[in-house]
Parts: sequence; structure tokens; C-alpha cells
Amino acid sequence: MIFDTGGTQPIYLQISEWLEREILSHNFATDEKVYSQYQLAEMFNINPATAAKGLNILAEEGILYKKRGLGMFVSPEAGRIIREKRRKQVLHRLRELIREAELLDITESELVAMFKAAQKREKKEERV
Amino acid sequence: MNAVECRELTRYFGRTVALNDLSFAIKKNTITGLVGPNGAGKTTLLKILCGHLRKTAGDVRVFSDDPFNSLKVSVNTVFIDDHLALPATLTIFDTLEAARLFYPNWDHRLALRLFEYFSFEPRKLHKDLSKGQKSTFNMILGLSARCALTIFDEPTVGMDTAVRRDFYRALLQDYLHHPRTIIFSSHLLGEIEDILEEILLLGEGRKCLHLPVAELRGYAVGVRGPAETVEHFIADRDLFRRERFGRDKIFVAVRNSFSGEALQEAGAMGLEVFPIPAEDLCVYLTARTKGGIDDVFSED
Repeated sequence: MIFDTGGTQPIYLQISEWLEREILSHNFATDEKVYSQYQLAEMFNINPATAAKGLNILAEEGILYKKRGLGMFVSPEAGRIIREKRRKQVLHRLRELIREAELLDITESELVAMFKAAQKREKKEERV
Repeated sequence: MNAVECRELTRYFGRTVALNDLSFAIKKNTITGLVGPNGAGKTTLLKILCGHLRKTAGDVRVFSDDPFNSLKVSVNTVFIDDHLALPATLTIFDTLEAARLFYPNWDHRLALRLFEYFSFEPRKLHKDLSKGQKSTFNMILGLSARCALTIFDEPTVGMDTAVRRDFYRALLQDYLHHPRTIIFSSHLLGEIEDILEEILLLGEGRKCLHLPVAELRGYAVGVRGPAETVEHFIADRDLFRRERFGRDKIFVAVRNSFSGEALQEAGAMGLEVFPIPAEDLCVYLTARTKGGIDDVFSED
């Protein structure tokens, strides 16, 4: 069982992950102001304190920086930090996958073959 | 600053204790959800806060005043439940007009817009409205009054899903533009969780939990697997629930003080680990037994 997935994740984490995706897909440029806690509250129908918590996580990680009285802005390092963080998450998920494979008696070479086949399918779908 | 402070607040009805040594504080301009099973003391607490009921012992402060017989609290508080004593001869439209004279911060534009949005017939009497319509109309009163302390006691009784959603949205929107202290009780924690800042859980007149909603989701964790393995894994952590599962497995809900690695290991030990939704946690915390309804049907 994977602990940190889906809808049972705290909302403030969902908010910070959503903002990370927005930054990664260049919907916010470096040094651009992101949504305020009140805007996020209105957009997602959540308490503004929860939205603030999501923003503060990103500020603590250096993805956003605060300008007093003006709001939160995208730090120049944002893309790098998010990518590094996500890389770690991929590794984490990979470990879970390996554990599950062991449980199912899938050998290493079988797993690699499955990975390659899935990758191939993915690429084919991209081309279509 | 705190809008509400209670210290060892106690209230008896005859020999029945409705509130038992209740101590907590509610910050100004926050939305607090008051939850708990039937008979937990939610309504008694809310009625004491708005000055409708007198406490038996302890201390209660609303805007630094004892709410009972306080003009300051009365002027700054609106209390909405499904027993509102509204003038029986006034149409619902005239009731809004009357309320306008009553509350200093009343927003009549908001009242009329909500009235129209929910398609109320102006000449109707309050007593002729359906249960859900009554709740909806009362909600309009509660929101438009814009009181510094706004209290809703089970405001969504009888409302259909669409209206309930509209209500939560309207409450949040109005709060964003006009911050104030809002307390509302509900049995539908799953529905209101997102718009709350804090949650206060009562059980048998006592405080079971009072914390930011954000912390509620990770507060407890569910573990399922072979009884011995589960017992070993949870060690002496606070146990909220224990149920039999299948032939030789158990399910437990415990305080989540596990490290990320420990949770990882659980998988390798053949245990299933999953988060406990806030609503379930509240049920477990206020249940009289740790086993639940299945105990009734149990042979041993």
C-alpha cells in the first residue's frame, strides 16, 4: 500500500503540488507573482489558512519567495528545486514498485522488459 | 486575539451534565467546525456562547465579555438554528426588511441577491416553507447579518446536496470578503472540512480534539493485517479503533507517530497502512466502545 497518494492527501499539499505543476509548465515565469491565499481559497473552495499553508511550504523550500505586503513570487531556482524533489519521489515510487514485484515473483529481467514495453506504448501514443 | 474563550466550562441540566470541564479558545476571524455525535453538547455550547443559556460553572468569554446578559455580545452575534422564533405574521420578504433594522452590519443587497438566487416567493410565510427552504432562508439571515460572531447550529438540515454546496460556497465567499468569526456545527464533516480552519470535536460534553483541520488528515493511521504483526507494529501507540477483519486479521486505527521509513517497512511486513479520513477519526474518538456496531453482532 502506498501511503501518500490520491485524495486522502492533506489539501495544503495538494495546493503546493498544484502550484509546482503550474510553475513547471511555465504558467508562472521567474519572479512572477503567484496566486494569493485568498485567490487560491476562492479557486479551490478551501479555507484561506489552508491555502496559506500550501504557499508557505513552497516558500520554505525556496520555490517561492515573499515580498512583504506584496505576496509570493517564483524564485529563479524554482524549476531546479521542484525537479529535484520530484526525482526523489520517482525514486521512492520505484522502490515501492520493486517491492511489489518481489511479492509477485517478478524477476529483474521481467521487470525491465515490462518497463521497456510500457515505455514503447507510451511513445507510440504520443506520436498518434 | 481570541473571539471566544472557555475555561472549565460546565453546564448541567438537572443531574445530566451537558458540558463537562470544557476549555478551549477560538481565534478571531476563523471558521471553526463544531462536530460530535448526537447529545455531545454542541447546541448547549453554542447557546451559551450567544448568551441564550447560562453556564453552571467555569468561565466563558465572548469578545472578553460574559455572553449572558451582555449587550455587546448580543449586538455582535447571530445565532441560526432550525428553531428560529421569527414573527409568524410577516412574509419572508418583510422578515428580511425587519432583520435589516435589527443588525447594524446587515447587507441588504446580499440578502436580496441570495433571496432571488434561491427563488424565494416574497409573499410566503416562514411557516409555509419546506424544511430545506427554511434552512436556506435562515442561512440568508445568518450570512447577511454579517455579525462579528456568526453561529450556525446544523444549518444544512433538510437542504439538498446542491443547496448545501451553494451554502458552503456562499459562506466561504462572504468570509473571504468580510472576515469574521464563524462557528458552525454539522454532522457532515466530510463536506465542510475544506472550508474550515479549525475543528472542535465534542464527545459527552468534553473536548475530544481541537486542532487545525490541516493536521487532522495525518493525525491517525489505519493498519490492517495479521493480529500479532499489527500489535507488534503499533506497539503502545494510542488506539482509537480495533476491529476484527476476516478470519485472523485485525484493523486498527492509531495515532500516527510513525516515521516515513516505519510506514515503508510496514508494507514489507505484510501490513496495509492507510490514512484515516477525518470523519472516521471523529467517529472513533467519540465512540463509547473501541469495537463499534459489530460488537453487537459478535458471538464472543
